[in-house]
Amino acid sequence: MTSELESVASAVVDRAQGQEQIEAFLTHDRDFQVKTYMGEVETISAAEPRGAGVRVFDRARVGFAYTTDLTDPGLDQVVADARENARFATEDEAVGLAPAWSAAPPDVPGLFDLEQERVSVEQKVEFAVELEKVTRSADPRIRTVEEAMYADSDTSIAIATTSGISGTYRRTDAWCYSVAIATQDDENEVGFEFDLARGLSGLDARAVGERSAIRALSILGAQKIPSARLSVIFDPYVAGQFLGVLGQALTGEAVQKGRSLFAGRMGDEIANPVLSLVDDGRVPGAPASAPWDAEGIVTRRTEVISSGLLTSFLYDLTSARREGRESTGNASRAGFKSGPGPSPSNLAFDATGGSAQDVLRSAGRALLVQDFHGVHSGANAVSGDFSVGATGRLVENGELGQAVKEVTIAAPMLEILKGIVAVADDRRWLPFAGSYGGATTLIQEMTVAGL
Amino acid sequence: MLDESIVQRVLAEAAGKGSDLAEIFVEDKRSQALRLEDSRIEDVASGREAGAGIRVLAGDRSAYAYTNVLTEESLLEAARRARAHLAADPTVAVDLRRQEPSARHPVKRSPADTPASDVVEALQGADTAARAAGAEIRQVTASYAAVNQKILVASSDGRIAEDDRTRVRFAVQVVATRDGVIMTGFEAPGHSGGVELLDEHPPGELGSTAASKAIRMLDARPSPAGEFPVVLSPGSGGVLIHEACGHGLEGDTLVKDASVYAKRVGERFGSEAVTIVDDGSDVGAWGSFGVDDEGTPAQRTVLFDRGVLVGHMSDYLSSKKLGGSPTGNGRRQSYAHLPIVRMTNTYLLPGPDDHDEIVRSVERGVYAATFAGGEVNPATGNFVFGMSEAYMIENGEIAYPIRGANLIGNGPQVLGVIEAVAADFGRKEGVCGKDGQHAPVTNGMSTVLLGKMTVGGTEA
Repeated sequence: MTSELESVASAVVDRAQGQEQIEAFLTHDRDFQVKTYMGEVETISAAEPRGAGVRVFDRARVGFAYTTDLTDPGLDQVVADARENARFATEDEAVGLAPAWSAAPPDVPGLFDLEQERVSVEQKVEFAVELEKVTRSADPRIRTVEEAMYADSDTSIAIATTSGISGTYRRTDAWCYSVAIATQDDENEVGFEFDLARGLSGLDARAVGERSAIRALSILGAQKIPSARLSVIFDPYVAGQFLGVLGQALTGEAVQKGRSLFAGRMGDEIANPVLSLVDDGRVPGAPASAPWDAEGIVTRRTEVISSGLLTSFLYDLTSARREGRESTGNASRAGFKSGPGPSPSNLAFDATGGSAQDVLRSAGRALLVQDFHGVHSGANAVSGDFSVGATGRLVENGELGQAVKEVTIAAPMLEILKGIVAVADDRRWLPFAGSYGGATTLIQEMTVAGL
Repeated sequence: MLDESIVQRVLAEAAGKGSDLAEIFVEDKRSQALRLEDSRIEDVASGREAGAGIRVLAGDRSAYAYTNVLTEESLLEAARRARAHLAADPTVAVDLRRQEPSARHPVKRSPADTPASDVVEALQGADTAARAAGAEIRQVTASYAAVNQKILVASSDGRIAEDDRTRVRFAVQVVATRDGVIMTGFEAPGHSGGVELLDEHPPGELGSTAASKAIRMLDARPSPAGEFPVVLSPGSGGVLIHEACGHGLEGDTLVKDASVYAKRVGERFGSEAVTIVDDGSDVGAWGSFGVDDEGTPAQRTVLFDRGVLVGHMSDYLSSKKLGGSPTGNGRRQSYAHLPIVRMTNTYLLPGPDDHDEIVRSVERGVYAATFAGGEVNPATGNFVFGMSEAYMIENGEIAYPIRGANLIGNGPQVLGVIEAVAADFGRKEGVCGKDGQHAPVTNGMSTVLLGKMTVGGTEA
């Protein structure tokens, strides 16, 4: 699959005319997904989508086009479309192709699981059925399992450029989730849990099922609490979502374009001195790891916040050239249908020491947040406003207390960063719209609005 | 799009013994997108995507296979793969009867025939107007997106339907800043139709409206937290109905008993002023089409009639389980996705009250002018919505802008606190996400008074 894709990529690049530069980016997936309901297969889906995204550079202007038609006429057309589109772009000296690799990019270990090829459809279905069963039988108060899902993909990615880059790599992914609904009296609460790995053998149906049930059960009887200033603890799941918001403001492009609360703060102390934030495109097993990024730049590790000081933003080629610096290998794409743009790869705070239980104990009285609501609207990476709905538990000296819902928690994001005093060692990667390593995180004080 | 005899052979291959239905969905989509930022045309993109998805249903089970190679051989292979997942044998040939769209959404200026230079000019017009609004404007992003999607859907129960959908959307986002405070303004009209959208919504006006909102919000004070009466402005407040009522009335959620509205038809949730419909046939609306992605003609479905729950939205599968016919709400993002129950254009119908009188009736409350989005848990009805533009109402007057406000509550409960509905109906276009699929939807409502809501803010 990979060598075939690489030859289509070079066939695209060979269509360059005169002085123009071309980049071809292709993907070919083998996707599988099964969802079960009441112990039976509800949906099962299989496919092999593939396609090409092409950028044509006419001096300092770039146009993009994509196609699912990989025949010769299809490739002629997509190159012609990208060439035509380039005519309408504004000239920009910062745009251009990645230079040829001086040496082959080192492999990232553990990008695929060869065993996964031999896993049968029956085994995958069995896994999903088991996941649903474990969730349902975790407690009599689990009324239903809204969804239990297993999915996997085997993806080949190829890139070729007229500047001399030609490469391909393969990755496998498997993931699952379970959505439990717990009922008591007239109250319904929902619990979501997931797991991800390179193959089915790396997933734990029992752990996911039980945890999704626990998440739903633990907030039964939840109530509003009176408005107050309180210590707040993000659990790993919501800490990852918080990093997702933060990540939007940490690209060089967001800063250059006035879309970041961190603009003009390079070198400043923007976070608590215990905090360091690292982006690393080569973490074995992490969702966004790859040997090279969406423009062919070799991936690397970048310290974004170092002991509270803002030390670097994250760059793709265009945003880096605008500042006369090197790309940090942070170009990504949402598949062949979009051009590259800068985003974090695997972004996470370094642990400050201690387990989740240590952090809970050190918090005194605090609100442990297990779920955010309305993050898309309530968190603003431009203004730094952060005001979101929250569900969770009150914590008193490490003991879980009253379940809480329908409250909002709010504080400016820079205040939250200054207020983070501990990050536990229980990091897990969240693959939702990026790759963020969430860990139990203690924030000294936020406004909790309830009654 | 595809020869009818091929469609018949593929359906015959897919419809196994013991299966209830086999269906083929074929799509040929062309898209064009241009984006301006930093006063530069940064992205000019176009794409062509073609593919087909084959679905086989047996009891409660669905099997799906899709391909973007549209040869008969590749389609038959996908059909066999879908059928094999349900372990059924192939059956006999299928007769097809054509379903006609219930509504046509006219395209006056086709995107395909519009020179890209016209679009470039429109984007620059929005940029110039926004930057002229004040020295506080730091950044303007303007984007244009046009999609033409031709679909063919046929099923082994003998239905075949085609639809040709053109949608255009133009969005302007403006960032304003003063003394370290940063605010954004956003305008993004869209419709089912052509580039004439830009005649109805001149880009210069969109730019200056978004810019003046952003500048106005620079003076915002932190939002208070607590319980207040809330006035929803026309159009924007419709997202509340979408999230808080609509999702819970999507048939797939009801089938699983995962909705707070399950088995409650006939129950009163709000006053006589509350009538809510979902209408995929509203001519030219952003969420409209001729037939849905299962071939069912678009229709208007009443969800709440004068406060009483009377209906729900369904696709083929959920209508089988809930009874009744599909309501034309089976939608999918593309051939690569199974159809699921989705809203189209969801409206709280206008009422007899007056905007100014509603505001005057509030002693101290919040005026929600623009929601930045929101989310809801259908099982509980709980929701949260952020406000990107909001004001305090004091002594019956809009007093000053507030920032960081959000609205938190519960779907059924919010219907119960609708105390007044004005006549000034407005629409807002958006993109709704569900099960990882995106769909264009419209939310519509007039000025509405909510008697008491929890407002979250930074001032405890």
